[in-house]
Amino acid sequence: MDLIAAAAFSSWSLNAPLLCMLLALALTYFRGWHLLNAERPHKYTARRLLAFACGLTTIFVALASPIDAFAGLLLEAHMVQHLLLIMVAPPLLWLGQPVLPLLRGLPRWLFRDVLGPFFSWKELRQVGKAIIHPLIGWCSLAVVVIMWHLPRLYELALHSQGWHELEHACFFWSAMLFWWPVIGVWPSQPVWPRWAMIPYLVLADLVNTGLSAVMCFSDHVIYPTYQSVPRLWGISAISDQVTSGAIMWVPGSIAFLAPAIVLIMRAVESGRFHGVKLAPTPRAVMPRNVARKAWDLLQVPVIGSILRFRYFRRSIQALMLLLALAVVADGLFGSQVAPMNLAGVLPWTYWRGLAVIALLAAGNLFCMACPFTLPRDLARRFVTPQFRWPRRLRVKWIAVGLLITYFWAYEAFGLWNSPRSTAWVILGYFAAAFAIDSVFKGASFCKYVCPIGQFHFVHALVSPLEVKVREPAVCGSCTTYDCIRGNDRQRGCELNLFQPKKTGNLDCTFCLDCVQACPQQNVGILRVLPGQSLYKDTRGSGIARLSRRPDVAALALLLVFGAFVNAAGMTGPVMMWMHRWHAQLGLGSMVPVVTVFYVLSLLIVPGVLVAACGWASHYWGRASIGSKDLICSFAVALVPVGFGMWLAHLSNHLITGWNSLIPVIESMRSQKASIHYPPAWSPNWLPSLELLFLDLGLLLGLYIGWRVACRLVVGGPRTLATLLPWVLLSIALYSAGVWIVFQPMQMRGMMMQ
Amino acid sequence: MQTFLFVIVMLLAQARGFADGGTVQMRKDAGPFLVTVFTSPAPLSAGPVDISVLLQNLDGLAPVLDARVSVLLRREASSTEIRAHATREQAHNKLLYAALVTLPESGKWRLSITTLHNALRTEISGEIGVTQSYVMAGSYWGYIALPPVMIAVFVLREWLIRRKPTLRANQCKII
Repeated sequence: MDLIAAAAFSSWSLNAPLLCMLLALALTYFRGWHLLNAERPHKYTARRLLAFACGLTTIFVALASPIDAFAGLLLEAHMVQHLLLIMVAPPLLWLGQPVLPLLRGLPRWLFRDVLGPFFSWKELRQVGKAIIHPLIGWCSLAVVVIMWHLPRLYELALHSQGWHELEHACFFWSAMLFWWPVIGVWPSQPVWPRWAMIPYLVLADLVNTGLSAVMCFSDHVIYPTYQSVPRLWGISAISDQVTSGAIMWVPGSIAFLAPAIVLIMRAVESGRFHGVKLAPTPRAVMPRNVARKAWDLLQVPVIGSILRFRYFRRSIQALMLLLALAVVADGLFGSQVAPMNLAGVLPWTYWRGLAVIALLAAGNLFCMACPFTLPRDLARRFVTPQFRWPRRLRVKWIAVGLLITYFWAYEAFGLWNSPRSTAWVILGYFAAAFAIDSVFKGASFCKYVCPIGQFHFVHALVSPLEVKVREPAVCGSCTTYDCIRGNDRQRGCELNLFQPKKTGNLDCTFCLDCVQACPQQNVGILRVLPGQSLYKDTRGSGIARLSRRPDVAALALLLVFGAFVNAAGMTGPVMMWMHRWHAQLGLGSMVPVVTVFYVLSLLIVPGVLVAACGWASHYWGRASIGSKDLICSFAVALVPVGFGMWLAHLSNHLITGWNSLIPVIESMRSQKASIHYPPAWSPNWLPSLELLFLDLGLLLGLYIGWRVACRLVVGGPRTLATLLPWVLLSIALYSAGVWIVFQPMQMRGMMMQ
Repeated sequence: MQTFLFVIVMLLAQARGFADGGTVQMRKDAGPFLVTVFTSPAPLSAGPVDISVLLQNLDGLAPVLDARVSVLLRREASSTEIRAHATREQAHNKLLYAALVTLPESGKWRLSITTLHNALRTEISGEIGVTQSYVMAGSYWGYIALPPVMIAVFVLREWLIRRKPTLRANQCKII
């Protein structure tokens, strides 16, 4: 293959959102198909699975392969792309009979609680029935195909990505409607007799033939863009047009006429035309009132065994300890250029990004692998702490203070840019954990002091996994309470979380001590609805009610506002603002300006906003509880909004700097002064991903707020009035997040080439 | 269900806002080559823009794939200058050389494309018009619209449940 052909065939695009969506559809279908195949193997066969998979693959090929890359240069490539979207993908997808497998494949709560009301909405079902009528399907495809081939609209699509995508969506969805009655998709009942599908297809082919003929026999180029683009391989614009007309004519006609011939042959074989033979309508998509056990990570083969391994946590802690020691050593004795030092790259680029992604995907995995508590655990084999943590300090205020200090110091002293400071912070962490836990029993450092731990505790409240009792009834008969008291071979929970009464992930380090201690093996890592412990407000062991914890509310608010302030601090406009004030005031250091910025944005402005929301919520909703209690209740509802911002911000660092470890390793290996710095990777889907995180955070926050308002105030308008100030605050934060995403960012921990 | 999936497809599809290719901005002969410059988005606006270059031999119009292509954007009004290397690795269509640059402001910009092939250096240049930024409204509108759409769906769901209190209990037997 010559170089040009190789280049052409390698023009695939990593269209990550498309790929993710197709994979999600494939997985959902496969899950549903797997369940249905076990129940009705003759109906949900491997052929159906194959057809659906081929349909999805066709969409991917149409939108991400060289066909798409050349669609703007060659009309024939564009024509092939449209044929795949109209005549290949839709019938293949429908041949997979996807409705039932997709519904069965959805999570139960999504199907039942979210989609359920819509499925039982009579008017919507009537609309659904109407749009799958063959007449609508035929007309929609004919109108869409003719309309989008008008030069004006075709040119519009060629010059605008948005219109082009709308064109593709119109082709695809009208074709889906067209092919529905031809294939006979469940749950439809045939509206027309089966023989009517033959003229249905033949008439559609006539429209296709008419359009093809126009393209083939026109003596001028119909779409001027193809005359203005450079011609490849010596193909002239007019011959390109004739070829594309032929592609539309011949394969297009085959796509319409082949099914018509199949229908005729089947009719001849059976002697008469039957209606579509469909499976009897099942009474229920999901089995009703069947209590399903929650999915448990510990029951997953291999992964579960590894997690249950007695020395698993120690192993990953030891690994993290080695990494921490390497970071400290390099930070203290290595190059003080942050992008060339482990201390400038590992904690700030990799660890933070991976930690938030772990929180999103699983739970508090950082605390599970925490290296800071390993030395004190070793020391406790020789020294037993004597004291209990003072009762008055059994709150989060110390951690709140430390977090404020951290946020300020990060920006004021450029921690991210100072490997030595980073190393000292890590050493300080080891010393603090060792000192506190040598004196006080349990995991006092983790529970009351560690700011990193608090970050993970709070955000793990929106994680999808929770260390939880499998069968509450089993705990009812337990008399030894090993999960909290421990036994002769395993200590119990050091954070005083009694499993049967534990709610949510607050204060849970995922240490799995309770899993190891429970003699009944009744503790698992179960799947939960993200954020449910934020609105249920049940009294949890070791944490009480969240709505009665002003310290937890303050911590949550600090992390929420901290997310936006921390991200804003690295944007061009905010940095320029600080530098302008610095120059105007003639200060020798930036520290006073940064301090004022942080006092304003982290303390004063949030304080005023939250107090105003609490007052407005109380006043408008005529709530029976005071503003302070309202603030405590609604503060946690803002956690997902802040988490969305942390995800957007830290994933930006992780993705753009995924290769920033390379120069560090190169400099460690060669000690050369001239190191090759790979360019920062900034994929064009990154802003989309960041916006998606912000969107999901806002939506989950609003949902939790709604549930909190429903719990606190009974009565529709009053509920809304109570919620309104918090909705406005959430939207304001979200808007700030969107603004941040589109600002030029300082590339921290990287050297741009 | 299909509406739900459609919304997701449409939203996710927005991420493809800046593929290479796009509108032909200029097309000139330069030595033995024909140089065509594409820009995206259309109309060109301040913010991230894709500049793609197709280099073809004048003789036979075969694409040239082993050149070094540099992009220089200069705005006289503010003496702003942006330089970038256009590479095939950054291009979706591997016959093109693409560079993603961020234009800080709107107005008239001077675009120069320099190519280096077998020690032969060629250059073409021309003026391009850049409009005010419409990135957020144009390319990412789907993401900004997602929360209001989902809120509307949620309100509708709540209304359906309240309209028919027995719905929650009977949701599973409806299909």
